[in-house]
Amino acid sequence: MSTHLKSTPPHVPASQTTGQKSDTASIIYTGVIVNRNPIITRTPTAFERAYYAYHSRIERALHNPFPSEFYFKSGSIIEGQFEKEEKVREREAFGRPVRRVEEWRRKLHEKNTAKTEKKPKAEARIVIPGGVPQPMPREHEADRTGDVHSLDRNGERNVYLLVKSKDEKGKEVWRFPQGAVEGDELLHEAVIRDLRSEYGTGMDTWVVSRNPIGVYRSGSSPSSSPAKAPVFFYKAHIIQGQVRPDGKQVLDFAWLTKQEIKPRTESDYWAGVKDLLSDF
Amino acid sequence: MSAAAQVARGTSTGRRFTAKLIKPLTRPLRKDRNRLPIPHVHIVVRDTHQCRLLEHYHTTLRDNLMYMSYVHEPHGRKPMRPIRPKFDPEDPYVKHRFNPPIGPPAWVRTPMPPVTPENIVQLECIQLHMMVKESITSKSNLLGPIMAFRAISGESERAGGRHTVEGVKIVKGKKAIGGWVKKGLATGVKVDIRGPKMYDFLGTLVNFVFPRLRQFDGIPMPNASVSLETPSAASGVVSFGLGPESFSMFPQIEVNQDRYPKTYGMHIHLITNAQGLGAQNRARQLLSGFQVPFSRR
Repeated sequence: MSTHLKSTPPHVPASQTTGQKSDTASIIYTGVIVNRNPIITRTPTAFERAYYAYHSRIERALHNPFPSEFYFKSGSIIEGQFEKEEKVREREAFGRPVRRVEEWRRKLHEKNTAKTEKKPKAEARIVIPGGVPQPMPREHEADRTGDVHSLDRNGERNVYLLVKSKDEKGKEVWRFPQGAVEGDELLHEAVIRDLRSEYGTGMDTWVVSRNPIGVYRSGSSPSSSPAKAPVFFYKAHIIQGQVRPDGKQVLDFAWLTKQEIKPRTESDYWAGVKDLLSDF
Repeated sequence: MSAAAQVARGTSTGRRFTAKLIKPLTRPLRKDRNRLPIPHVHIVVRDTHQCRLLEHYHTTLRDNLMYMSYVHEPHGRKPMRPIRPKFDPEDPYVKHRFNPPIGPPAWVRTPMPPVTPENIVQLECIQLHMMVKESITSKSNLLGPIMAFRAISGESERAGGRHTVEGVKIVKGKKAIGGWVKKGLATGVKVDIRGPKMYDFLGTLVNFVFPRLRQFDGIPMPNASVSLETPSAASGVVSFGLGPESFSMFPQIEVNQDRYPKTYGMHIHLITNAQGLGAQNRARQLLSGFQVPFSRR
């Protein structure tokens, strides 16, 4: 959404879109970084889990008194049930109450000098009728097999689409999908057309913005003009579907995290695109 | 990198991480004026759980919002057009009168600053407000709404050592209006929710309340033809109301709905840090990223 009521779309100067295929210096490419954003939350580290547990216990210790008289009729059965469950929760949080300091010191000494782990006494548990629904496993089949084609792999990370295609010299390289701007179209229109033509029926995508998020120019190679053509990158999200390589333009594909893209791409290309990718 | 380890089992208080032998106090704690114990160390309760929406904001939304709202300004900005004042400054009758420019105030007409990675729009606060007409006759009618807001928001006064948190506040009348409201009369309740609890509340709205509302297409937004030079469009606040039928759709209330004497509706204000021309559009853009639906009238 533009803040300016009459903002103009990003316009590439006419001198660069003459569309003459023979004049290769005037070709512009648009690349697209198709992103599958994280579908599950990040796994907390052991420290984070301990931190959250610690602060949960503090919150439990310091919370404002629960207004029993509003929610329960005094002396009712359900109030008694609630109090029992609360006792169980308190015990789970803080352990059994130890009233005297000497008793605590004795128990601490026993615990520290004990050679074998004593089995704890069977604690009262809160029984939920119907059982507690268990969430789906966080690791997918694709994580175990390392299937880079799958969109379910690495659910907690941002993964990006890398395709194997032939560059201008005919060499097979791994890179983000890219295509030339044709005729007088705008850059974002070129991206949408390119995505539709290469993956149209198989994949639903959403291009995030009308303006590009970055530009890449292969700098250091000798003066052959196709190498100098700029590639304007756009970010897109995959909504649903999957890539179907047609064997002509797209030979192979992979959904990879930022760290996995680095070894597969050339160092010059990586230096140009690495800042467009998320570390999460 | 292989994916996650198994999630820790046990309660949120972490049975595995509990020091089972907590040293007992040798002396009882001092009590404050509400007869609640004062801890012997200064404690502030921080994050008690992972915040799903905040993580989504940082991994995905922030980048997208920056790309979507960036406008390339290679030639800088033109200075704002000077607006004529209300009165003619030469006119001797009004020479020393307060003479503001006509139309909306300057902060409404000021364009938003250029988008940088540091100033991307963020959700700051969610305010809930409920006007309870029956409380004018009897203040005890506020008890249900107060408990309901406590349950929904999770906020308590000075909870967790945070001395600026006010919890659920009673809204009192500012002016005396004959036959209806007196000055200082309690007329409603409100609460400000910030931090992880705010995102939890937004998640509840999106996952429980909105899907179960009948004939709800989305939060209504003004037509494209409406001018952006209004205080509401420049405030970065998205406001909407929920009727009494939505009261029982909050899971915290649904579980013991019969304990509340009546069902109530409420006003909800989602406050972001955007301000200026088009700020409300940016706020809606942000909230769409959290799956909040919007619809045209």
